[in-house]
Amino acid sequence: MFELIAAFVSVVLQGGGPAVPPTAGAAIAVGLAALGAGIAERGIGAAAVGATAEDDDMFGRGLILTVLPETLVILALVTIFVV
Amino acid sequence: MSTASSSSSSNYEYVTARVRSRKAKLFDEDDYRQLTRMGTGEIARFMEESEYEEEMNDLGARYSGVDLIEFALNRNRAKHFEDLLRWAEGPLYDYVARYLRRFDAWNVKTVIRGLSSEADREDIEADLVRTGEFSGSLTDRLLEAGSIEEVVEVLDHTAFGPALEDALDDYEESGQLVPIENAVDRAYYESLLENMPAETDRATSLYIEFLRAEIDFRNVRNALRLARSGASVDVGEYFIGGGRLFSAEEIDGLAGNTNELIARLRDSVYGERLAGPLDDLENAESLIGFERALEEVLLAYSNRLSQLYPLSVCPVFSYVLAKEREVRNVRAIARGREAGLDAEEIENELVVL
Repeated sequence: MFELIAAFVSVVLQGGGPAVPPTAGAAIAVGLAALGAGIAERGIGAAAVGATAEDDDMFGRGLILTVLPETLVILALVTIFVV
Repeated sequence: MSTASSSSSSNYEYVTARVRSRKAKLFDEDDYRQLTRMGTGEIARFMEESEYEEEMNDLGARYSGVDLIEFALNRNRAKHFEDLLRWAEGPLYDYVARYLRRFDAWNVKTVIRGLSSEADREDIEADLVRTGEFSGSLTDRLLEAGSIEEVVEVLDHTAFGPALEDALDDYEESGQLVPIENAVDRAYYESLLENMPAETDRATSLYIEFLRAEIDFRNVRNALRLARSGASVDVGEYFIGGGRLFSAEEIDGLAGNTNELIARLRDSVYGERLAGPLDDLENAESLIGFERALEEVLLAYSNRLSQLYPLSVCPVFSYVLAKEREVRNVRAIARGREAGLDAEEIENELVVL
């Protein structure tokens, strides 16, 4: 494991450029944000489906609450334009 | 359904959302005030327009009056609790099933009592509450049993098996049902705290504490009842282990002396919450007020827990308690009206929060 890291580091250092190019960094940022949003939506979605099952009128409200964490991804998308 | 909960995680979000919605649909104080002023026919009509519509329509052709109300209540409760078991996954299922085993205990007792009073199969079946962990086929086999020995045999592999077998000898010697019913109750309460799953966060440990409190209260109630009735029964026989208030030896000494028991309760962890009811008990003659106060304390505490720990077993448990309260309240109203009690008297019997 450690040899692999050492080898990787030496390759990167010899290459001269940054280990993670800016666009790749931004991509990782967006991906992680999406993952976080997914985790948040898991619980909210489950609760929303439960509430809708009991009362049909909750569908609209449940839907809105479920996608609220999606704003995380939209905000993270800004990084794409910054780099 | 089996006790074995898989290693999957609990789906608290889903169950809590549904349970909260159902809890909001329970009768509130206003409904009770109306109900206490109605006759049995009116109560039945009121229930037809509420949560109980389906059950009332199903059973309306077969029963009438208070029986109709009572069977509809039982069936509705069974339906809701069955739903809980259907939804819950992982450790949550285990927590809920543990508590709902009380209906298994109830069913076993009903069958045994039915057999000893030589009731018809249909009559016994009507009184069963089909929820809890027993499967439909196990319950059917219970119903088909022709004697108490057969019932014990059928239950061999369940949690009640070992305790019942021990009690069977007692029963055969004395011919009384008490030892058997006692064994069923104790098996239930002892299985309540057995093998708690390893997932112990704050909310779960509070839940366990809650079950302990219930065992303690049950012991207190038994001791008080025995002390009041003046019967020379060995209280230790009725003692349920697992609580944190007494040991079997202690309760023996305390049961004979109500004042000492009250003093003991005052010094205990429950002292603060029970201060009011304890004062009443010291002055008043009847136990009914105190027993009702115990219920109220438990109910209020469970409501508080469900708000403090929204994603835990607490909201589910608080719903189970509230639903049971509702069923008991409506039943008390219907029976009270039938017996001709007036509204104030009935209202005194209700536990409303």
